[in-house]
Amino acid sequence: MHLATLLLDGANAVLILMLVALGLAIVFGLMNVINLAHGEFLMLGAYVVLAAGQAGLPFWVGLALAPPAVALVGLVAEEVLVRHTYTRLLDTILATWGLSLVLRQAAVLLYGPGSHSVVPPDLGAVTIAGSPYPVYRLVVMAISLTAIAATFALFFRTRFGLAARAVIANRAMASCLGIDTRRLDRWTFAVGAGLAGLAGAAMAPLIAVDPQAGLGWLVPAFLAILVGGLGSIAGPLVGAAGIGGLDSLTAAVASPVWAQLAVFVAAILVIRLRPTGLIARRRRES
Amino acid sequence: MTKLTRRDVLKAGTAVAAVAAGLPMPAVRAAEPIRIGAVLPFSGGLELFGNQAKLGLDLALAEINGAGGILGRPVELLYEDNKTDPKTSVERATSLIRRDQVLAITGPITSNARDAMMPTMSRSKVPLLYATNYEGGGCDRYLFAFNTVPNQELEKLLPVMKQKAGTSFYMFGADYVWPQKMFATAKTLVEGMGGTVAGTEFTPWGVKDFAPVIRRIKESGAKVLVFALPGADGITFIKQAEDLGLMKDVTVAFLGFAETYLGAFGPGKGQNMWVTVPFAASLDNPAVHDFVQRATAAAGGPVPVSHYAYTHHTALKAVKDALEKVGKVDREALVDGLEGLSFGTSVGPISIGAKDHHVSMPMFLAKTEGEGLVVVDQLGVIAPNAGCS
Repeated sequence: MHLATLLLDGANAVLILMLVALGLAIVFGLMNVINLAHGEFLMLGAYVVLAAGQAGLPFWVGLALAPPAVALVGLVAEEVLVRHTYTRLLDTILATWGLSLVLRQAAVLLYGPGSHSVVPPDLGAVTIAGSPYPVYRLVVMAISLTAIAATFALFFRTRFGLAARAVIANRAMASCLGIDTRRLDRWTFAVGAGLAGLAGAAMAPLIAVDPQAGLGWLVPAFLAILVGGLGSIAGPLVGAAGIGGLDSLTAAVASPVWAQLAVFVAAILVIRLRPTGLIARRRRES
Repeated sequence: MTKLTRRDVLKAGTAVAAVAAGLPMPAVRAAEPIRIGAVLPFSGGLELFGNQAKLGLDLALAEINGAGGILGRPVELLYEDNKTDPKTSVERATSLIRRDQVLAITGPITSNARDAMMPTMSRSKVPLLYATNYEGGGCDRYLFAFNTVPNQELEKLLPVMKQKAGTSFYMFGADYVWPQKMFATAKTLVEGMGGTVAGTEFTPWGVKDFAPVIRRIKESGAKVLVFALPGADGITFIKQAEDLGLMKDVTVAFLGFAETYLGAFGPGKGQNMWVTVPFAASLDNPAVHDFVQRATAAAGGPVPVSHYAYTHHTALKAVKDALEKVGKVDREALVDGLEGLSFGTSVGPISIGAKDHHVSMPMFLAKTEGEGLVVVDQLGVIAPNAGCS
């Protein structure tokens, strides 16, 4: 096993998990909504690429269309369903779980229960350490890095971000200071959904696109958030690096079964020893 | 569902009226249909297999009723959705047995659902007609298996792989009972013919990145990949194996393959994967052409017609032959009739073991080529090694 490919595969897994966890973390941190439909938003993103391909559009157009399309679905879901459950954490779980079932079944009804294939754009492969490495995987990593950078810019360089962080810190106070939390909630949820859509669209050529495609992502993404720590934007990224890296490395040196075991054991240890996560938001003593 | 309830209400009403009039129920019994339950996944993940099974069952039902039913009685199929869930399977089976008084039940798809249902079936003495390929070892007076067990799929396939690709085998599959048993059988066969097992590896469900596994298989130097990862995960693996150049190094022996996979790998991908199947829609045989044509017509559009459609069709046709052989309609008669039954199907004659209740059937060697599954060789009838002690 070459170190170069080992690191490359690990980086690939980490960056993709970061992209998935980021959207989930924004919605969770900002709005206290545990979004169990996040995986299905991801699946929708993949289906947007599939639909665009079937309509004869080039792959890249589908990739560009997916985030806004899924964000729109998120916007509607927020308005119709999620906003009615904001004050009740457990109800958000139930409501978004119901939403996930509806979305999955909608995919079955529209595209059938079978798997579809999205043809990857033909970018060829570069030879790294003696074996071919598809250029498209490098592109996915670049997409992920760009999206993460853009999200940070949004939260730390814009007025929207400032208001959003104010809401994370203290929702009631932010509201008193005249921040329109309703509007903020709406857009945050849409951004979270859009990020999931982007992740799904970017992943579409690498996986089988079927109605269950989102399921495998939710658990690792939640683990990344729990391990990294709630309420910050950097936390989930650290968590994703830990979870994704450990998973990929263990799978490389042992097997995927051991990788799953290692990830869960590590997650339990972190949650036991540092219940607030690796990067905890400092809370003011009151 | 509402139809059943309404009928139940009607039936109850008729019964009350009959009792009130102080009369037995005449004439109604003569045309009483033979009810057979089908517990299959129509939601929850394995819809694809549920739909394939239904395709075959509906065809068999139309054939049987079109030819006057069984011993003059029409057959009625009662479909129940088990939601791809063992617990729901048991509930559905129980209600089919208690409420609908079914003669037998066909389905389910997964082994865990079958294992969950089996105690109920044996206790109620209702035959289960299981028509999915599985790991073997299901042995009970009330269980009949109409699809393959490991040796039927592997016995002829592995020697061909050794001859075509090489002597070094790597086995990779999902971490549950079917791949585990498959690989145990495969290991014995590989070692028996002087080959070597370069590695055996399992994966949990839902893994999205197989790059580490793919690299390990590459580095093992294996020439043949014995592959048992069903569904979307398997397609994901093959796609990534193509991207990372593994498909050039190994020839894949794809276990549990069916036509439902065709087209899912993307154009030009997933080529030259070898399988043995009890049925292939591409078989050049008028009876198969006819079967595929009718299935496609019934589905109202181009759908894959796989061995799941074929085996479920066979299971229902076997009920007719068995009951007519014995000459009466009840559950014990059905079991007695099925034991040792031989009959013709679209691909050739098959026979049900009198003791093990598994099926000896013709098998076909095929490989993926272009958009289709091309039959390479007729392997003749292969007897099952059911694993009953």
